Amino acid sequence: MLAGAVIRGGTLREDVHLDVDAVVVGTGAGGSIALRELARAGLRVVGLEEGGFHTSADFNQREEQMLPMLFQDGGGRASTDLAIRILQGRGLGGSTIHNTNLCKPIPDEVLQIWARRHGVVGASPAEMRPYFEQIERELSVSEIPQNMQNANNSALRVGVESLGWKGAPMKHNRIGCQASGFCELGCTYDAKQNALKVVLPQAAEAGARIYSNVEAQRITFANGEITGVRALARGDAGQGVANLKIRARVVVLSASATGSAALAISSGIVDPHEQLGAGLRIHPGAVAAGIFDRDMKSYDGIPQSYECTELLSFEEGSDRRCWIIPAFAHPIGTASMLPGFGAAHMSAMRTYSNLGVLTAMVHDETQGRVSAAHDGRPKISYSMIESDRQQLAKGLVACARLLFAAGAREVTIPAIPPIRLKNKADLDSLDLSQIRPHSVPLTAVHPMGGMRMGEDPKTSAVKSTGEHHHVRGLFACVGGLFPTSIGGPPQIGIYSTALRISKHVIERARR
Amino acid sequence: MRGPAISRRKLLAGVGGALLGASAVVALLRTSGYDVPDEIAGALTSLEPWEYVLLQHAARRICAPDRPGDRSIPTADDTNVAGFADSYIRTMSADLRSDLKKLIALVEHLAPLPLGYRARFTKLDAVAQDRVLASLESNDVALLRGGFAGLKSLIFMGYYRDPRTWRMLGYDGPRVGRPVLGW
Ligand SMILES: Cc1cc2nc3c(=O)[nH]c(=O)nc-3n(C[C@H](O)[C@H](O)[C@H](O)COP(=O)(O)OP(=O)(O)OC[C@H]3O[C@@H](n4cnc5c(N)ncnc54)[C@H](O)[C@@H]3O)c2cc1C
Ligand code: SF4
Repeated sequence: MLAGAVIRGGTLREDVHLDVDAVVVGTGAGGSIALRELARAGLRVVGLEEGGFHTSADFNQREEQMLPMLFQDGGGRASTDLAIRILQGRGLGGSTIHNTNLCKPIPDEVLQIWARRHGVVGASPAEMRPYFEQIERELSVSEIPQNMQNANNSALRVGVESLGWKGAPMKHNRIGCQASGFCELGCTYDAKQNALKVVLPQAAEAGARIYSNVEAQRITFANGEITGVRALARGDAGQGVANLKIRARVVVLSASATGSAALAISSGIVDPHEQLGAGLRIHPGAVAAGIFDRDMKSYDGIPQSYECTELLSFEEGSDRRCWIIPAFAHPIGTASMLPGFGAAHMSAMRTYSNLGVLTAMVHDETQGRVSAAHDGRPKISYSMIESDRQQLAKGLVACARLLFAAGAREVTIPAIPPIRLKNKADLDSLDLSQIRPHSVPLTAVHPMGGMRMGEDPKTSAVKSTGEHHHVRGLFACVGGLFPTSIGGPPQIGIYSTALRISKHVIERARR
Repeated sequence: MRGPAISRRKLLAGVGGALLGASAVVALLRTSGYDVPDEIAGALTSLEPWEYVLLQHAARRICAPDRPGDRSIPTADDTNVAGFADSYIRTMSADLRSDLKKLIALVEHLAPLPLGYRARFTKLDAVAQDRVLASLESNDVALLRGGFAGLKSLIFMGYYRDPRTWRMLGYDGPRVGRPVLGW
């Protein structure tokens, strides 16, 4: 069904002019839901996706081929100071194609802070619960059974249990998982119940039309009202092949937290309080790697199935803001992450199969900013504040403790120079100031904010309904809406928020 | 605490940007004396021949074997890291591509200077090349450290994509085509 609704940009032979009710830019977690809901409401809706339309048959588990196919900038997107690698998806299904399927609703405490501090209305825990429940049902969310925990996740569980810390099995949206471990390169076995597999086919069935390989380049508006979108269709080599000029009364920005803000900014959307792109959170994370005497083969099996929440609480002002989960990469990812080069690096790579790796992600308070480069692509500025740096250091020390408790013979924190810990006692004398951006390689996979919702135009880009404060008919349905970090996997929160916002989009489109 | 850290970072970023820009200019002037067979030069899609040579040299050091003489370890040349990089760079955004090219120019022309080497990187011996690369990895200029990390990732992608490198890691490779589990 989906294949019949998708028009590949590269097949267009001439410019396209369309007149529709609504355009959704981006087809990831937020955009897929918006497309489906608008189509189900009987609206004429078109989705634009700058990435390609790929199916499970295309996902060949090769890093060097999947990274350029499924990730923005071939996986090389980074903050402007190059301190943080920021992984974001590209393609029909967005980041849900290559994500690791962890599922958690937005914590109640976070929703309460949004209401109290950020003036968000209509998204209290009680109001959001039905949306979370619907999405979890639709995506077949279930707990990952312990017999599907691979060695790396079991090590985390053993570490948590032996230290008496807080931890638990996680939930996921998979059916028929073959535990191949290749989630971050797309699922060859179609086990992921994600936007591509579940939601976009429903959108297509309801009548949505979707253009892949088409990049929205400008949102058009006049007299404070949306008038449409200009877009460029690209061929296989990235060359422009046709222009799309689409008239619409409603435009929904679902082009990720960073892409949505950059597109709005480069389109010149009215922004008197400079809220577009503001308040970017990313859950920056770093890893600690333990060398075990036993064969771990951490690349095999479901990558993440157990969490440690010992250092995580969501109250305002909390000094426990670290989420710890396993994080393992295939050889290229691991080689990039290990410090050094040459012979010493190759020796370290020989321990690949004996490594257990944990990551500490910071429930961050740093506020980054998205701006638009001259070609309209996102530019991401993010300078980690000291309290977040301290959280990161605390988190990495905790990762090392967990790895030792699980039986690691040695733990390395990849830093320049590398931090090598021979035993638990080494942790007590560790100089935590070494753990800082540019010394420790940082990665972020959860951009949020940049299109923050709230009732005050001075502190938010869009209203609680998702509609822009100053341009009628312009909505955001994307992780960018989150006014703060959420301290856990965002996809359920994004799908659910998109479900809530879609009602307001439909209302506006029908007016 | 926060204010000075940010302004220092800005300053460093500025220095890094200026260095990258300067090396790009130098590179424009010094592109002769590189030996690339015609059939390879003609097939390059993103790199200039001299950039290809620089990547070859950097890859040989970055992927240097830990057991010299062990013929079971493929070399950077065996795995055609520089050729892979040429085709991979084509998939990058114009901005990233341009930054990477500036970095390549910096490694070749400017990075050896502070260590007292007057020759370009590709004319140095292996020990000197290692010193230059190490100086970039731990450089005070944050942007250069970040740039080196990007270069290193690209080179390792070219190297560890090759199945011949997987045996020493104990990595079984893709499961595609192998029997699936029956949970
Ligand atoms: C490696 C990795 C692992 C992750 N694991 C998990 C996990 O286990 N659980 C979890 O909850 N979350 C996870 N996430 C995060 C989660 O997938 C994202 O937060 C979520 O998908 C974001 O949804 P979104 O709708 O905001 O954007 P996306 O899903 O990123 O979709 C945005 C889409 O917009 C497109 N686009 C951008 N600009 C344009 C334009 N100008 N024109 C047309 N199209 C455009 C992009 O190509 C993309 O397809 C992970 C992310 C990564 C990178
Ligand atoms: S682990 Fe499961 S969901 Fe992930 S790629 Fe393998 S089969 Fe697909």
